Amino acid sequence: MEDNFLVVLFILAFVAAGIFITWFTSRQTKSASDFYVAGKHVPWIGVGIAMTGSYLSAASFLGCAGDIGVFGVDSIWLAIGFFGGYMALLMLIAGPLRNVGSYTVADALHRRFPDDRVKLIVMVTTLVISIFYLVPQMLGAGLLFGLLLGWNFVAVTLGIGLLVSLYIVFGGMKATLYNQIIQAIFLWGAMVLVTVMAFFIFGDGSIGKVLDTANKVVPPLIAAKNPAVVEAIKGLPADQAIEVARSMMPAAESAMTLGVKVPGTLAQISTVIALVFGTAGLPHILIMFYTVRSARAARKSVTLCIVGLGIFYLCAILLGFLLFPGMYGTLVEWIAPGGKGIGYAKNMAVVLMSEMVGGKLLMAIAASGAVAAVLSTSAGLMIATASTISHDFYKVYINRNATERQELMIAKVTTLVMSVIAVALAILLKKENVAWLVTLAFGIAASAIFPAMVATLWWKRATRQGIMISMATGLTVSVLFIVLLLAGVPTFLGMPTAGGPGVFGVTAAGVVLVVVSLMTQDRGKDVEAFFALAHKEDHD
Amino acid sequence: MTDNTHQPGIPATGPEADKRYRHRLVLGFGLFVLFFVFYVGTAVIQTPAFSHVSSIPFLGMPLGLFLSVAIFPASWVLIVIFFAKGE
Repeated sequence: MEDNFLVVLFILAFVAAGIFITWFTSRQTKSASDFYVAGKHVPWIGVGIAMTGSYLSAASFLGCAGDIGVFGVDSIWLAIGFFGGYMALLMLIAGPLRNVGSYTVADALHRRFPDDRVKLIVMVTTLVISIFYLVPQMLGAGLLFGLLLGWNFVAVTLGIGLLVSLYIVFGGMKATLYNQIIQAIFLWGAMVLVTVMAFFIFGDGSIGKVLDTANKVVPPLIAAKNPAVVEAIKGLPADQAIEVARSMMPAAESAMTLGVKVPGTLAQISTVIALVFGTAGLPHILIMFYTVRSARAARKSVTLCIVGLGIFYLCAILLGFLLFPGMYGTLVEWIAPGGKGIGYAKNMAVVLMSEMVGGKLLMAIAASGAVAAVLSTSAGLMIATASTISHDFYKVYINRNATERQELMIAKVTTLVMSVIAVALAILLKKENVAWLVTLAFGIAASAIFPAMVATLWWKRATRQGIMISMATGLTVSVLFIVLLLAGVPTFLGMPTAGGPGVFGVTAAGVVLVVVSLMTQDRGKDVEAFFALAHKEDHD
Repeated sequence: MTDNTHQPGIPATGPEADKRYRHRLVLGFGLFVLFFVFYVGTAVIQTPAFSHVSSIPFLGMPLGLFLSVAIFPASWVLIVIFFAKGE
């Protein structure tokens, strides 16, 4: 524990900052608008930074580089895929969504198609996405701190659940945003700092040298399956370990060989489509556009986020390749036991690399960066769920005459309940590898929300029936694929399930939307007025 | 959608609004399709079936890796165009 004093100090600083911000913002959070969307007057720079924090989960911070360190070049698409969705958000969604929505994702759709069932479908979808996304965050945090500090898994997940609930219950969206800003700056800075230092220490400041090394490397996943290699490179420095492994496995693939991880072209397309369109359909990202003053501010905020994410993911890719000259032998040794060893290598590689290039201080910064990633993403997901349950479900289906106070109370209770559910599921699934649930959450968002949202905002011929059936189809197809995936079914109707539901859910939802819309007539109450509002002249 | 006439601040419908909507439709979807084709095309090249293309050396690295990494700056260029043409 003494060794990790700095890590504990940084984490305590985060907790203290979070509590202070919550206390400070709680005095300004009075109305529903304050609670759900921070009064709609947050500067775009703040929202852009917070959006970066909300999106960068532990999977991005630790997993992108760690995955390259295990599988090699195939894994760069994890980082690129996470990034791509923001272009869809900027060009197709941010501006018009800001103009027509108010508190939740469903609000925008409901404004054009005032049918309560629209709200119900979006609420169910948001709930499923949030649980799929939230549980791996909690579970990842519990495991990370078990490995790093020997902390009790249950205590860590409970602590994170409690802290995030505290932000939301007392400070609403404003506390969530301000916390996300601090956390984003911290985790972004940690990634850039570790990468730059590792680049000059292990890569000699040369991309060419880094790639030459990767060309020589037997991917750790493959080397780890050969017990003789594992034994031979034990304790050797990374450069020697790379040479020895290659000399013992001269015909093996290199870390630059394609196909070590990616099963095939269709699976790759499916994963990529899920990540692009899924990002553009994530409720906890979409509702952030309501917190700025105007559509132009929404576009500026997402642009800032794109630049920030681009730099972050470029660093993550470079850092992934730097793991080979930095800690090849260690990676192989970690992976050798299989199963859990692979997960350990993915999660711990960045943390160990931080210590190697910057000592205990940088390791503490990196570990705290991972906590920041968990906190900011979890808070975003929880407030999105609380908003939809209270605003789209309670206010519509349970108590139509609910006062603002009652609605806010339900949102706060929902936050606590969601927190309990997420912590309970994380504890229950502790022994399972659930990181892939995040990818599935993207698949559901891509299928159920993205096509309906784009059509509502841009296609005048879209109809209420088309939108509703499209959302239901997207949700059903993606859940069906997930069930098949869980059941170990490799193909369905000739389609591979390995890439997740992305391409199939999006295609099915899109086709149904077009066909049903062309067969029906209800284009919304006043479609021309809706489009004039959605695409109105920009003002700051 | 509530009644338009009862909501102050709702912009007027008409040819101007329609022109603005069409301009943004062409700009937004046009640039996004450009990005998406480049993006998915590169993702496909980076699969084993197209390894003969992705492994072609280009500027000191395999073409597939170069194109993959180029997605980041390419997206920034498209954003500049988006804002420049959108004003």
